[in-house]
Amino acid sequence: MSGTVVLIVDDSSVMRKIVERSLRQAGIALTRVLEGGSGREGLEVLEKERVDLIVSDINMPSMDGLEFLRQVQSRSLARGAPIVMITTEGGEDHVREALAAGAQGYIRKPFTPDQVRDRVLPLLVPA
Amino acid sequence: MAAGAGAAAPGKVAKFEQNLNRAVDEVFSTMMGVSCAPVEHGGVAGQETLSALIGLAGALSGAMVLHCGRDAALEITERLTGVAPAGVDAMVRDAVGEVCNMVAGAWKGYDAELASGCLLSTPTVVSGTSYEVFSQRAPIRMERSYGFGNAGLMVTIYCELPSMNAF
Repeated sequence: MSGTVVLIVDDSSVMRKIVERSLRQAGIALTRVLEGGSGREGLEVLEKERVDLIVSDINMPSMDGLEFLRQVQSRSLARGAPIVMITTEGGEDHVREALAAGAQGYIRKPFTPDQVRDRVLPLLVPA
Repeated sequence: MAAGAGAAAPGKVAKFEQNLNRAVDEVFSTMMGVSCAPVEHGGVAGQETLSALIGLAGALSGAMVLHCGRDAALEITERLTGVAPAGVDAMVRDAVGEVCNMVAGAWKGYDAELASGCLLSTPTVVSGTSYEVFSQRAPIRMERSYGFGNAGLMVTIYCELPSMNAF
């Protein structure tokens, strides 16, 4: 598999590092890691850059992950990149809402690299 | 463990306490590769301390506070990120806040009603050497000390249940 360009959107810089580390430990070769500290920053990145994978938190101030997801979809900013939501909000309603808004996957915190691999790798394999 | 709950829903409070132990260990074991079990004393006195607060609203109103010393905070940060911080900085405060966030999320997830009906705020972190955290209106207070590696921390849940009959 060639390298992956990933956008990680989370208001926590620690969580962005943890997600990057988990993706690498899951065996996903990352050639570039782009970051957004908020939903708005994530949109700004996508307006300028093409990515292969988008990973976003749900519970963020100002623009939450679900609104970020809706904006990405309505403005066609994903350009085919799968979107995976990572969050502590584990209720089934949040899962349904994220999937209905266009996410291809959902990972609940806390998570292991194996769980990240199992959820993300299938999304990156070319059809 | 201190658990002031008056005469209301003692079974529910006991379950909350068990779930807290389970959540703390799950977060530490999964994200940091170390078990974190209840101990008699959290060992945070006499050093710079950090407190992360997460608000709880909806099916349950209150807050969760994770309180730890400088050494525990530095170890948590290194275990989470793979980078050893030189001192308590924004990254360390962020790390403690995230651990509290994950413990709160895991804890509420074990209870079906809280999983869908209790919302979490984003974390607030306070650090310093002489301060106290207390809740003005919290009929239920659960506090537990935990140990991981050579460090310790304390987690407190202050809350009230809108309808004890609902449980």
